[in-house]
Amino acid sequence: MSEKKSLGKVFFNGIIPENPTFRLVLGTCPTLAVTSSALNGLGMGAAATFVLVCSNIAISLLRKFIPDQVRIPAFIVVICTFVTMVQLLMQAFLPSLYESLGIFIPLIVVNCIILARAEAFASKNGPLLSAADGLGMGVGFTLALTLIGSIRELIGGGSIFGINVLGASYEPMLLIVLASGGFLTFGLLLGVFNLIVKKIEKKNAAKEAQTA
Amino acid sequence: MLTKTFKRGVHPLHNMHEGKAATRDLPVREYVSDTVVISMAMNIGAPAKPCVKKGDHVDVGQVIGEAQGFMSVPVHASVSGEVVAVDSIPSLGAGNVQAVTIKNDFADTWVELHPLGSVEQVDPKLVIPAIQAAGITGMGGASFPTHVKLTFQQGATCDTIIVNGAECETHLTADYRLMLEHSTRIVDGLRAVMRALNVQKGVIGIEDNKPEAILAMEQACQGRAGVSVQPLKTKYPQGGEKQLIEAITGRQVPSGGLPIAAHVVVLNVGTCAAIADAVIEGKPLIQRICTVTGCVRKPSNLMVRIGTITEDIIGECGGYSETPGKIVFGGMMTGIAIPNDQMPVFKSSNGIVVLNEKQAKSKDESPCIHCGRCVAACPIGLNPYQIKVAADKSDFAAAEKLHVMDCILCGSCAYQCPSRRWLTPSFKFCKDHITAEAKAKAAAAAAKGGEKK
Amino acid sequence: MSLRISTAPHMHNPLTTSRLMQNVCIALMPTVLVGVYAFGFPALMVLAVSVASAVLAEFAWQKIAHQPVRVNDFSAILTGLILGLNLPSTAPWWMAMVGSAFAIIIVKQLFGGLGDNFLNPALAARAVLLASWPVHMAASAYVAPTFFQAGVDAVSAATPLSEPGSYTLLQRFLGQIPGTIGEVSKAAILIGFLFLVCTGTISWRIPVIMVSSVYVFTVLITGASFENALIATLSGGVLFGAVFMATDYVTSPIRPVAQIIYAVLIGLIIVLIRKFGNYPEGVTYGILLMNIFTPLIDRFLPQKIYGIQKKEAKKA
Repeated sequence: MSEKKSLGKVFFNGIIPENPTFRLVLGTCPTLAVTSSALNGLGMGAAATFVLVCSNIAISLLRKFIPDQVRIPAFIVVICTFVTMVQLLMQAFLPSLYESLGIFIPLIVVNCIILARAEAFASKNGPLLSAADGLGMGVGFTLALTLIGSIRELIGGGSIFGINVLGASYEPMLLIVLASGGFLTFGLLLGVFNLIVKKIEKKNAAKEAQTA
Repeated sequence: MLTKTFKRGVHPLHNMHEGKAATRDLPVREYVSDTVVISMAMNIGAPAKPCVKKGDHVDVGQVIGEAQGFMSVPVHASVSGEVVAVDSIPSLGAGNVQAVTIKNDFADTWVELHPLGSVEQVDPKLVIPAIQAAGITGMGGASFPTHVKLTFQQGATCDTIIVNGAECETHLTADYRLMLEHSTRIVDGLRAVMRALNVQKGVIGIEDNKPEAILAMEQACQGRAGVSVQPLKTKYPQGGEKQLIEAITGRQVPSGGLPIAAHVVVLNVGTCAAIADAVIEGKPLIQRICTVTGCVRKPSNLMVRIGTITEDIIGECGGYSETPGKIVFGGMMTGIAIPNDQMPVFKSSNGIVVLNEKQAKSKDESPCIHCGRCVAACPIGLNPYQIKVAADKSDFAAAEKLHVMDCILCGSCAYQCPSRRWLTPSFKFCKDHITAEAKAKAAAAAAKGGEKK
Repeated sequence: MSLRISTAPHMHNPLTTSRLMQNVCIALMPTVLVGVYAFGFPALMVLAVSVASAVLAEFAWQKIAHQPVRVNDFSAILTGLILGLNLPSTAPWWMAMVGSAFAIIIVKQLFGGLGDNFLNPALAARAVLLASWPVHMAASAYVAPTFFQAGVDAVSAATPLSEPGSYTLLQRFLGQIPGTIGEVSKAAILIGFLFLVCTGTISWRIPVIMVSSVYVFTVLITGASFENALIATLSGGVLFGAVFMATDYVTSPIRPVAQIIYAVLIGLIIVLIRKFGNYPEGVTYGILLMNIFTPLIDRFLPQKIYGIQKKEAKKA
């Protein structure tokens, strides 16, 4: 960790180069399960982002005190605390969203993005960097979930964020809001994302070749 | 008629009498050309070394190339006359080979011959050396030196000699005409080999689309000890060594083994006739029957001298009837396309098929649709479509695991493939690559072992 | 003189991929004709739209992906045709288009194009349409064929599967029942089957065994009488699926024994879905499920290779 990391770079790392959904393919269970609408995707993303940032900061602060052998249980306890907070807050202030996300809110505890960032980043870096990493990853996750949710809601319901876009005569493609539609949309978007990243890499390689 | 056969296989040109209609009823005609170009590399193994020089006069049957070791046979002059060149010509495989060009003086003066007499009285010990001295190689296409085939390793036993008269290849009628016109010679050759190896049973396998040949051979077998004719179902590759053995004896040659592992030796009918000549008359192998068909004006069965140029043979058959697109030595399923019509005839050249430009057009591969026709065709029971996937990726280890080394390159799968995939060519490439790799490995191991000592 | 040099073999069986596909298209013609005759112009529209959009989708994809355009191999036409025959005649045009595009682009091309798709494209598309627009796909969309009830307009009719007594065997055989365009006339399908077997395009194995398997399992599992089992076998898409969809080269096993296992299991799944499932018909899912198992059946079936003893083969 001798290399100095800028906050901005750490933040943006989570959005495109290591987007948790499309590049790392982590946390696919909520990705597939709750993205039947854009709002669900956004809500899930926001909840996960909150937990990610808080747990990253807490774990980063505690990293010197947690014995290596019991770090996973310790991380989980920290994460649990924040998840419970989110759950109670949501239940109190956003009851309809809480209803539609259901079991997937408590399941944030076992979301591999959060544990992975705690293990791979927060336990090795300072609180400020960890917060930036958590925020970047969280925003990346939220964007991905909202994108999938929007597409599925648009095709499967004709609307985005509950606002009808395609008109009353549109006959929604029900499959897309079903589980198999989640897989289909996710898979296709993964492919598109890979294609874009490959093109960017090619361009960068070409640029490097030119400058060299 | 009770016919035997093997599993799977294909029926190429079945509705056209396997393409044989044009020449099957034409008696063999003798043709001797002005010049012959005799290749020194007509057998699998070491090529012979020329022992004549430009300007020498040679007689028919005179040795012009000396055998180099056990896996090699001598080469004899096929006409009498003057040696006009000893140079190199392109070979059918890779690179060039040495060849002797002789200008024919049409005197047909023979060298002194040393006949061994009747095959039923000949000293068995003298037969195999006589076969080698006569320069006999397998005449069905593979050109394996016959004396090597007949010399077993310690412990190997042979109980049956099979004579291959199946001629399952398309278009070819050379063996058929030989069986009709020289049936006694074939049985003589078979008896000679049986006596030499002390084998009591000889079977001549013939496909049932040649009933006249079956009849002729049955007559020739009458009164001869231990020989019989076995009719076979007309199906390609019935004449493949492994398929023939399975059909006639019900045994299978173990993977990677030679027919002798199944206690069998397989000889072509042409080889048998040549053996009879070598034993009874002491004559070396200087001529053979060659079917010339396809886009020629006068399709024929010709008795040609070894080394006759393709162009002369086509001329004798009335010339090309259409612009030739491809000339194939052998049948359509396994024959070798030759680069130009200056190629001379070899000991194994059982036919010359001329294709027109349309027939010669290459076909583009299209994606495999998994129709399974290759699997249904493969006489070995392989999955050609899977091997092809491995071959396309140059994944030789995977190809070997799929038993590509058991492939006999018969071409049945490629013939059947509706997507025109180049199955057989890629399998040949795989086999060659794997063989070369194994050889290199063995050589490296041997070198290492040497160092240690 | 320039001679071509190539490796053996120097000739091919005249049967090519596009010829095989054409054969299947020809075999579908009786079914198409009866379907159009029975359901009239709407059926023709559905078929035309699905075929045209399948071909267009294939062409567009191959252009965009810079692949050689192989539209002329008839495989896209065939996919479009089979999908169209799997739709009710009342299907809206846009649904046929979406189905064809899904079949060609997502099921076929994204997995590598002709020969590499792991599901039958037309069937997968049918499953997608069934899940997406059940109103247009399920029995509620079926109309009784017009040609035997002259003067009766397109009326919704219950699927004959749910009411076995409502139609006679002969009506079912000739195609005087509601259903999708392709599945109504068993007679037309049988003509196509005979054509395919006689031209050597498909083997008899999968269709015959699959249909028998449906019959046997219907008797064994549902305890239906022999006649009712026959009615059940002649109902729905069993025959159409057995002849034209379960036999798809790409997604069916190759070796004969594997084909038998495949066909028997399709029959079993169909009967299980019909008896215990939520759907009245199980042909689509029966075939799709076994499509997925095809590579496994092909791979794990022991292979007899010349010159290799059983024990050695096991070692390898």
